[in-house]
Amino acid sequence: MVEAGRSPNIEILTSARLENLDGKPGRFTAIVHQEPRFIDDDKCTACGTCTMYCPMPVVDLFNERLDITRAPHIDYAQAVPTSYYIDARACLRINYETCNLCAQTCTAQAIDFSQKPRKLNLDIGAVVLAPGFGRIDPSVLKKYGYGRFHNVVTSMEFERLTCASGPTEGHVVRLSDREPLKKIAFLQCVGSRDEICGNGYCSSVCCMYAIKEASVAKEHDPDLEVVLFFMDIRTQGKGFDAARERAEEKYGLRVIRARIPRVDQVDGRLALTWTTDDGKSCSELFDMVVLSEGLSAPKDAEAIAEIAGIELNHYGFCKTCVDSPLVASRKGVYVAGAFQGPKDIPESVTQASGVAAMVSELLSEARNTQTVTLSYPEEDKAIESEGPRIGVFVCHCGSNIAGVVDINAVRDYAGTLPDVVFCRDTLYSCSQDALKGIASKIKGNRLNRVVIAACSPRTHEPLFQETLKSIGLNPALIEMANIRDQCSWVHSQEPEAATEKAKEIVRMAVAKARLLEPLEQTTVDVSPTALVIGGGAAGMTAALCIADQGFECLLVERSDKLGGNLRRLVWTMDGGEASEVLDNLIKRVDGHPLVCVMLEAQVEDVSGYVGNFTSSIVKAGQPVVVDHGVIVIATGGREYSPTSYQYGVNKRVVTQLELEKSLASGKGILKNIKNVVMIQCVGSRGEDMRHCSRLCCTQAIKNALKLKGIKPDIRIYCLYRDMRTYGFSEDLFKEARKRGVIFIRYEPDRRPEVIERDGRIKVRVFDRLLKDEIDISACLVVLSVGITPGANDVLANVLKAPLTPEGFFLEAHVKLRPVELASEGIYVCGLAHGPKPLDESIAQAKAAAAKAAIPLAKGKAQVASIVSRVDKAACIGCGICESLCPFNAIRLFRVNKRRKAETITASCKGCGICASHCPTLAISMGGFTDEAIMAQIHAFAGERCV
Amino acid sequence: MPEGKAKKSGAVMVLGGGIAGIQTTLDLADLGYYVYLVEKKASIGGVMARLDKTFPTNDCSL
Amino acid sequence: MTAGDFNPHILGFFCHWCCYAAADAAGVSRYQYPPNVRVIRVMCTGRIDLRFILEAFGCGADGVFTGG
Repeated sequence: MVEAGRSPNIEILTSARLENLDGKPGRFTAIVHQEPRFIDDDKCTACGTCTMYCPMPVVDLFNERLDITRAPHIDYAQAVPTSYYIDARACLRINYETCNLCAQTCTAQAIDFSQKPRKLNLDIGAVVLAPGFGRIDPSVLKKYGYGRFHNVVTSMEFERLTCASGPTEGHVVRLSDREPLKKIAFLQCVGSRDEICGNGYCSSVCCMYAIKEASVAKEHDPDLEVVLFFMDIRTQGKGFDAARERAEEKYGLRVIRARIPRVDQVDGRLALTWTTDDGKSCSELFDMVVLSEGLSAPKDAEAIAEIAGIELNHYGFCKTCVDSPLVASRKGVYVAGAFQGPKDIPESVTQASGVAAMVSELLSEARNTQTVTLSYPEEDKAIESEGPRIGVFVCHCGSNIAGVVDINAVRDYAGTLPDVVFCRDTLYSCSQDALKGIASKIKGNRLNRVVIAACSPRTHEPLFQETLKSIGLNPALIEMANIRDQCSWVHSQEPEAATEKAKEIVRMAVAKARLLEPLEQTTVDVSPTALVIGGGAAGMTAALCIADQGFECLLVERSDKLGGNLRRLVWTMDGGEASEVLDNLIKRVDGHPLVCVMLEAQVEDVSGYVGNFTSSIVKAGQPVVVDHGVIVIATGGREYSPTSYQYGVNKRVVTQLELEKSLASGKGILKNIKNVVMIQCVGSRGEDMRHCSRLCCTQAIKNALKLKGIKPDIRIYCLYRDMRTYGFSEDLFKEARKRGVIFIRYEPDRRPEVIERDGRIKVRVFDRLLKDEIDISACLVVLSVGITPGANDVLANVLKAPLTPEGFFLEAHVKLRPVELASEGIYVCGLAHGPKPLDESIAQAKAAAAKAAIPLAKGKAQVASIVSRVDKAACIGCGICESLCPFNAIRLFRVNKRRKAETITASCKGCGICASHCPTLAISMGGFTDEAIMAQIHAFAGERCV
Repeated sequence: MPEGKAKKSGAVMVLGGGIAGIQTTLDLADLGYYVYLVEKKASIGGVMARLDKTFPTNDCSL
Repeated sequence: MTAGDFNPHILGFFCHWCCYAAADAAGVSRYQYPPNVRVIRVMCTGRIDLRFILEAFGCGADGVFTGG
């Protein structure tokens, strides 16, 4: 987010809305209306003085109306832009021409009441719609007592209550009397799977977030009793089931399967009454009820659709189809995130990257035509190599630091430290004016090391590094002393101690600054080709997408033809012909001048790093060596092959894919078939594989409906644990129930059995309502077998890539980097990443293609400067560093028969494990050398050090 | 510029500054396009900015 | 010496990505804690060499806090 605020090629237009969109793909004109903020972004230093002085209270919408702020405010401390704004509806100056207190008290003079709304005409090539989701209508919440009973809250409100920076500083209390809670209930499916309110779909995220909120609440207060009411537990995300089981066990969460119809208040507590699926009627009292509200279409969806000229589906979300999930109905307009359908963060992030790839396909000829690249003056090596001349700048940060710490004392103390030749205090060092001042002082005093005593290097170091670069100094020559976030803000009641601490922090920073050395800013050329491993739906989509963006792509497939699992699929989830999707992909792959396909080939060896990989691919026993810049893993998965339920013994027991195949080949299979029993979670969710296979529930229902379509009087039983028809697939589930498919839930400790007697088969299952086992005679048993990973371990070994315990490739970050591996330049998509339906595989393949195209588009890879370096003379070649490096960034090679280690700087992440474990101290870390850290330790000790 | 065969623009508009919009924007900028990120509210971040445990440590976000 | 008099001098080694970020977040939320700890930021706790810890104790630190 901070990155978005800093890029010269991103213009953030806040308080803005689209008013009109004209033109055609590649050439649109958009009119955007922007409301004024009344505070100048460039001048505002986010000190908060305006909020303090403003007399007008307004409800804090960011904190779900649970708190009060003032007309001028910022949504949250780290908001981007990091600038305050004035709520025009409440402001006295704007509405009544009086007050003006904020303008008078703002020392940065950032308040500007002369700002007017403006209209912008933007020339753009494509439009991406990502307006997110809307909230459930309050009238729906009302039947659960929301609005009438204080202690009925929504999940978003609860989220703010548990947040440390929220209105109660993380203390979970009853809103009625601010007393601690003893017992709390979560009600699921509020505003989802609810025909009455019109939201028939499943919101996909509430089950998991309720578990998270419940766990957080338990962490705050271990004695809290938490009860969650589910219909089905839909935690189908990657790793979600495991996380849920851990949480249930660790926190002792009570899970009840029931849907609560209403909430009553009895003696100030909340009464819930329910009937479980084994027929028991129960009632209990709670202190708080959290409504797990679903995601609805954005409030302005219709307006957006009209302006952007796109169609919505029957629930008011953007309309898309299975084989192109990111494309809206108007050409050149794309969609990502929850507007396309309710979804969790990883899927939103995946779609977001995927949509970037699609735009990039459309506009590839115009790439880099409108972007700017910053250029910097040549580095002044002469000044850098002189002895340290340190300048210390001590920041007031308005009153944020100066209100607690004695700035003058710190500044004067800094002047007494060794090698400090200049010190100065600044009001706001990060403001544009101050940065210019700092630059001129550095130049004027021939400073070659700089200490900024202000806020956190995490947020502000890049800004000051930029200043150094702009005047020809190496950006590594700066050190920040964090006297705000870790001093004045946390010791506001102890000004003297805080001042002493600030002095010591500065002393340590100066000690380090004396030893700072310039770090090399290197770039490496990128080999402009991608290697895609696996020729299924995901692999082909990724290869085509990279090629359509203008880069060469080598597609390697192990078998003798393209298609993978898609070949076995007959119908897509929306009933379309899978073969059409397949044929279309193969035709495009074969015809694309930039895609080269290698069949019956396997990747045997990979070396190198992002931008410069070299791989050995073996085809017909012959190795072929290729150079490429990036790797996309799309090796797919396999249908699980069961050994239970008489599968393979009785030919009337088949898998869903086998059923699909025979249905497609003719109706013969249905002759004399009256009863069909489907068994869910065969192999999945703890039976043989731990994970949920995500797609089998929808697949089963799709086939059940197909059967019903062909033979309406057929009886179908579906034995399930949780029906996970998330998102709009819930419609199919509903349809199946309407058409008479019978659903019977089973518990994992009482799985159904397939019994053969006298040539007839029966399925025995425990009926929870009858509390007895029943036998269903079946003409056909269909097993919903899960998805098992392919032989990923071989490739994982070649790539030194980590796998999940289940055997799927492990992404760098489950939520925020869902298609990247920890090693840079390697991406994953499709079933190789985890089980998922076709549309999600396609979106993910596009996302991997976007990520893979980034280094290719840049042409050069910037090598991070904080990297390790091995002193060859001191290295004894023990290999400890190589074995410890989590990024494969150290390799061993031979020099005159001796083994030596070497850092592959492009892969190094600067963690320093190698340096701390080297027995001969041969490895030094840029910016964090042994000497510098030792100097900091000595400066910490001060005079106590002997 | 010849009529009818106008060259394509290298700029893109992303509507919505939540997690999806921000990610699209960052990737597009990285891919060599100029991006206008149009957000209805006064700051970007969307709903995710309000979720506990992913925030407020902003580097856990993007 | 009673517990009340003891004013320990603590040195922290904080990982840039997590513990250091958390310490910043504590500041953002204005949490108050005793001013006894000084922080050396490292890019990862993997950077911490045993020698650093021994040196800190040798130089009179009463405690060393590694956070990552």
